[in-house]
Amino acid sequence: MSAALANLVLPLAHLGHWLWVFYVIPVLIVVGGIVYSTIRERRR
Amino acid sequence: MLSRPGRTPRRYLGGPLVSFLPFAHALIVKQDLPIPPWLFAWAATIVLIVSFFALAAAWRRPRFEDEGWRPFGTGLSRALLGWPLQVLCGAIGVFLLGVGIYAGLRGTEAPDRNFTITFFFVTVWIGFPFFSALFGNFFRAFNPWRAVGRVAGGGFRLIAGERPAHLSYPQRLGRWPAAVGLLGFVWLEVVYGSTGGVAIGLDPHVAATAAIVYSAYTLAMMALFGVEEWCERGESFSVYFGMFSQLAPLGVEEGRLGRRRPLAAAAHWATLPGSAALVIVSIGTTSFDGASEGAFKTPIEKLFKVFVEAGIDRVTAMRLAGTVFMLATVALVALVYALGVRGMRTVPKAPPLDRLWSGFAHTLIPIALAYLIAHYFSLFVFQEQAQFGYLLSDPLGTATTDLFGTANSGIDFKVLDANAIWYVQVAALVVGHVIGLMLAHDRALAYWPNYRQASRSQYWMLAVMVAFTCFGLYLLSTTV
Repeated sequence: MSAALANLVLPLAHLGHWLWVFYVIPVLIVVGGIVYSTIRERRR
Repeated sequence: MLSRPGRTPRRYLGGPLVSFLPFAHALIVKQDLPIPPWLFAWAATIVLIVSFFALAAAWRRPRFEDEGWRPFGTGLSRALLGWPLQVLCGAIGVFLLGVGIYAGLRGTEAPDRNFTITFFFVTVWIGFPFFSALFGNFFRAFNPWRAVGRVAGGGFRLIAGERPAHLSYPQRLGRWPAAVGLLGFVWLEVVYGSTGGVAIGLDPHVAATAAIVYSAYTLAMMALFGVEEWCERGESFSVYFGMFSQLAPLGVEEGRLGRRRPLAAAAHWATLPGSAALVIVSIGTTSFDGASEGAFKTPIEKLFKVFVEAGIDRVTAMRLAGTVFMLATVALVALVYALGVRGMRTVPKAPPLDRLWSGFAHTLIPIALAYLIAHYFSLFVFQEQAQFGYLLSDPLGTATTDLFGTANSGIDFKVLDANAIWYVQVAALVVGHVIGLMLAHDRALAYWPNYRQASRSQYWMLAVMVAFTCFGLYLLSTTV
């Protein structure tokens, strides 16, 4: 069971110090959403 | 936090330990998490977004503008705030400060075995914010400088027959002296006392000397501006612990103890200049402390090499590199908050920028507390075992005393496992930021006449909270 689970682990180790990108993505999504909705509201 | 390990200890309980690092944040690598740490950041973001929309839908009038103050009976107030208990608490505070200074000057150089370092930088520094947020501003009673200042003021009145005349405190200074003092205290601990490959560390002797210098400075300021005035605005520890006490459901008003709506007192805390700076410094320095052992480690080392190649000696170069990154982290936190404030300003009928800047500063207090818990919770749990064990019986760390028969006790590192620490960290960050969102939403309802515009303005604070949450989780995931 544990071996099978181990095989399921996403192969992200090689990303190394680029893992910070995964922490920035949610922030960018939220900021993008705010900017998009602000622009849309101003156009109305 | 403090990183010089000192000598290998004779005593610890609970299984094998590779090395004794009593002041490291994370003693064990998080290895059995069901999902990668970054997915927690995504989950936390979803929690914040859901909370935001729930607040927007269900919270339509400000609730924290009124504290809902209800005083307790006069008997209880008299017992807890009366002079006998005040004198006793003040004497305890002065005694413990004295023990800390004496142990620092006379005790061992090993930080982990000297009472001073754990007492100043763990028990007081981390303990008071935790408990102040729960029970109110009880540091005020134990504040050794306030106790000495009041006794000195009383003595002056007795001899001169009149109250000492004080200078009027410059209103523009506000809480800036406290913010600068806070930055200096953490700098001493994290930068001056750091190792990072260079054989320096926070010597208990240095900590004791710093305590003497700070005591002299504080008493001088109290003589100039008055004891209560300086405690309210300039004395770093009073102001810092007092900031967290604003979240508590207990407080003192007009000499009476009472209860109030939890979090509500915070809404009126940031009215003095420098309040936002204080809370930003708190978040920034805690972040830097975590990052210096993880995400910033390599960049700091690179900058250190640049300084060394420029001809600066290694110790100074290390401290300079740490100082640059510490200030940069504080500036980054300020920038994120400033962007949120600037964003709110774009919403129609927004108050002026300076009012927004100070008006929403209190929303960062729960975040500062969350960062403290997330970064130091495990350190506190482990190190308090030492504080109330062998450090209490052998405060000098010289193995010459066993005052309470606990000199041979140790630290049981099994009381917390790595995953438990991680879950507490994640929970603290998420709860802290949701409370921050709640306070911000409530303040927006008070500032904007239109409910829809108030909610709209909070899109930007949502972005600030998500940024701080993800930043905090990233730092924790990289701290070793």
